[in-house]
Amino acid sequence: MRNEKELLELINVHLEPQAVEIKREQNVSVELAPKNLIQALSFLKSHSYQHLSTISCVDWLEEGAFELVYHLFSYDDYINISLKTRIKREPGIFQTAKEIWPVAEFYERDIHEFFGVEFKGNDNLEEMILENWQHLPPMRKDFDTREFVNDQYEWRDYNGQKHTD
Amino acid sequence: MDKSTQTEIFFGPNHPGVPGNYGIIYEFEGDTVTSAKANAGHLHRGFEKLMEERLWIKNTALVPRICVEEPDINEMVYAMGFEAIGEIEVPRRADYIRSIILELARIQGHIFSIGGNAAGIGQYTVMHWGTLTRDYILDIFEEITGARVYHIYIRPGGVRQDIEDETFDKILDLMDELENERFPDLEKTLFENPNAQKRWQGKAVITKEEAVEMGATGPVLRANGVPHDLRKMMPYAAYDDVEFEVPTYENGDAWDRIKIARDDMLQSIKIIRQLIQNIPDGPVQTDLGNGLKYKIPKGDAYVKIESKRGEYGYYMVSDGGLKPYRVHVRGASTPLGLYGVREFLPGTRIADVPVWAKSLGICPPEFDR
Repeated sequence: MRNEKELLELINVHLEPQAVEIKREQNVSVELAPKNLIQALSFLKSHSYQHLSTISCVDWLEEGAFELVYHLFSYDDYINISLKTRIKREPGIFQTAKEIWPVAEFYERDIHEFFGVEFKGNDNLEEMILENWQHLPPMRKDFDTREFVNDQYEWRDYNGQKHTD
Repeated sequence: MDKSTQTEIFFGPNHPGVPGNYGIIYEFEGDTVTSAKANAGHLHRGFEKLMEERLWIKNTALVPRICVEEPDINEMVYAMGFEAIGEIEVPRRADYIRSIILELARIQGHIFSIGGNAAGIGQYTVMHWGTLTRDYILDIFEEITGARVYHIYIRPGGVRQDIEDETFDKILDLMDELENERFPDLEKTLFENPNAQKRWQGKAVITKEEAVEMGATGPVLRANGVPHDLRKMMPYAAYDDVEFEVPTYENGDAWDRIKIARDDMLQSIKIIRQLIQNIPDGPVQTDLGNGLKYKIPKGDAYVKIESKRGEYGYYMVSDGGLKPYRVHVRGASTPLGLYGVREFLPGTRIADVPVWAKSLGICPPEFDR
């Protein structure tokens, strides 16, 4: 059983992190270059971090980057690691993690659908939640919900009152 | 395989055997499923996008809607994420009240889903009893929070209002009634019923290795003899102050998972009694100023707690503004509902598909978000 400091030591020695931080008790955050990330996932998996909670994506529009966050947990250490990496927003291509965790296929499919990130090596990126979606991926920050509604639908009058935006 | 012997069928979203607005498209031969895939998306309301456009406080009314069975869990994770980023301390009494609410919610969720499971095998009496028993707990919720299902009670910095002593007495009376009257009835009708045992034993088996590999937690792991519970592993609220056991079984099948739900409820009763006995006095809410102007510094946090079906997590990002920059929901049944259906449903007989889906606690809005 490692504590947070021992874990960070292990990461510093083996994974070339750009930044590490103990966020709070039992929670650690690690930033990595995109080229090191997949290797880091398989390294941590072989060091008891077997549980992949989920993969999150954050759109940093002003910085032109997508941040992918892999949340891992160890049933030996009871520590949660958030592994972060930033990829360029355009063209938004990254490697799949499905060889390490087969379930990642679905998390990546979700991110592909809602952010438009391509995952090389994942051939199952078809639509899952939306249906015949022809527009910008909806979770991107430059997707404006109000504009979309105004373009796609007509406002209805309510009790004779005109809709005002 | 000869195509003519295979038929594709749309199971759900309108079918009493599926848990909610969710479908499974499967092919079968004879009466055995040969391949299956999830048909999700019927319930997509864009929760995560909506949250980005609402104030921090306004989202407390939105998050409970993510899972009907477990609204309080969502309120709690959201509040914890806010507090983790903003480094906000919660008064101890509020921690205790939160735990009491979460345990009451756990009992109502379990009794509701045991009823749902029973309905899946035709035991409708248990379903009606389950709904009735749940209603007694909803009465308590109504008294504490003013609402029955979506309470909007746990909020950043504490809870909305204090609980009166008379309400604690009512909760204790209800716990006695559940333990001495309702649960023995349930035991006789369902758990000692040979039909139920036959329908559940050896069905929908997920092994320990499979569960860990796909990230399934909670009862799926505990049915394989692994006592993992986030209430013990990463204690939150007042769980470090109470004693309880984590029930486990060895076979990993539907029957074991349902027995875990029953044992979990007994543990919850034990926890609630300890909490009410030891609850400290004091305020129940940290003063965070005007609710419409809540702000927390730049930062992010992944928070998770133990729902009745396992790990429920939120990844929350703040850019220092009045609204969340990003909230990502990790529902307890996400890996099972999408990946698990494709990998582990084939080989199940058609009549057991509801047993599979319900005993694994699939809750579609968690992945339709």
